[in-house]
Amino acid sequence: MGMDYVDAGYIAALVTVLVYGIGLGLRRRRWERAAKVADPATPVTPGGRS
Amino acid sequence: MTTDTIPRAAAGPSRPRWLSIVGILGVIALGFTVWLGLWITPPDQVQGNLARLLYIHPPIATVALYWAGGVAAASSLLYLWPRTRSLFWDRLAASAVEVGAVFSALTLVTGSLWGRPAWGVWWTWDARLTSTALLLLLELGYMALRRVPADAAIRARRCAVAALLVAVDVPIVHFSVDWWQTLHQGGTVLDPGFHLHVHGSMAWTFLLGFIAFSLLFVWLLGVRYQVEVLQDEVGDQELDVSLAERWSEGTELVGVGADTSGAPDGGGT
Repeated sequence: MGMDYVDAGYIAALVTVLVYGIGLGLRRRRWERAAKVADPATPVTPGGRS
Repeated sequence: MTTDTIPRAAAGPSRPRWLSIVGILGVIALGFTVWLGLWITPPDQVQGNLARLLYIHPPIATVALYWAGGVAAASSLLYLWPRTRSLFWDRLAASAVEVGAVFSALTLVTGSLWGRPAWGVWWTWDARLTSTALLLLLELGYMALRRVPADAAIRARRCAVAALLVAVDVPIVHFSVDWWQTLHQGGTVLDPGFHLHVHGSMAWTFLLGFIAFSLLFVWLLGVRYQVEVLQDEVGDQELDVSLAERWSEGTELVGVGADTSGAPDGGGT
């Protein structure tokens, strides 16, 4: 009884955790790249890059 | 760059090895839970195959309610406490709330999939269901509040207060089945006297489900925390560069103004 609902529940749980986990991994990689780009090669001073 | 004096985390979050191990163990444990839950454990005498949903629904709800809610509340309290105030706690709370929101939504979905064949309805304004839906809404509200632009210290303080408001709902969800006699049953695994309701392979599968989702929560929380640190760092660096450029432009304009005002022809171009 109710195996369709059971399957749907397991699929929902697995897909949600998988998609969220992969999404977090991609977000982390994107921000790591952004951090490398935003990190100035030379130190920044109030008067501009030195 | 902020004007606050809150201790900041060291630059660049590392990827700790233990976190990857926790994630791998969580995936393996989840795989075994699915295998045991769908193929090995026997159908329940009363619910039949529908009871298989209970190997994942209560563990997911536990993560959403106690693990995520607990981390968010404790971290927010530690941030608000002056002696332990650190952006580490603010970021941890924010991470816990987001992961908690995912698990709260999943709690409602898996609960609804169980409720339709068991109760005959996808949704009812039952005390447990309503308070869980409220928890999800409060978590979404916290996430919206966090996106409001503000100084890091101001944002952290207002989010810590918001997280404590979210946490107020946690005991309401927990005790809702005792306080209001509505549709949702009481303790599924343990009764108030801590007597176990399930036995044998069903009990082991149930326990493995708790371990699997708990490990996955720790892994997701850790990765989400790393994202939070990186977001703050990139935002700070971009702000530093923008401010430096504006400062530089302003200095140049002042220099040009001084040159033209001092010109022999009156500064005309």
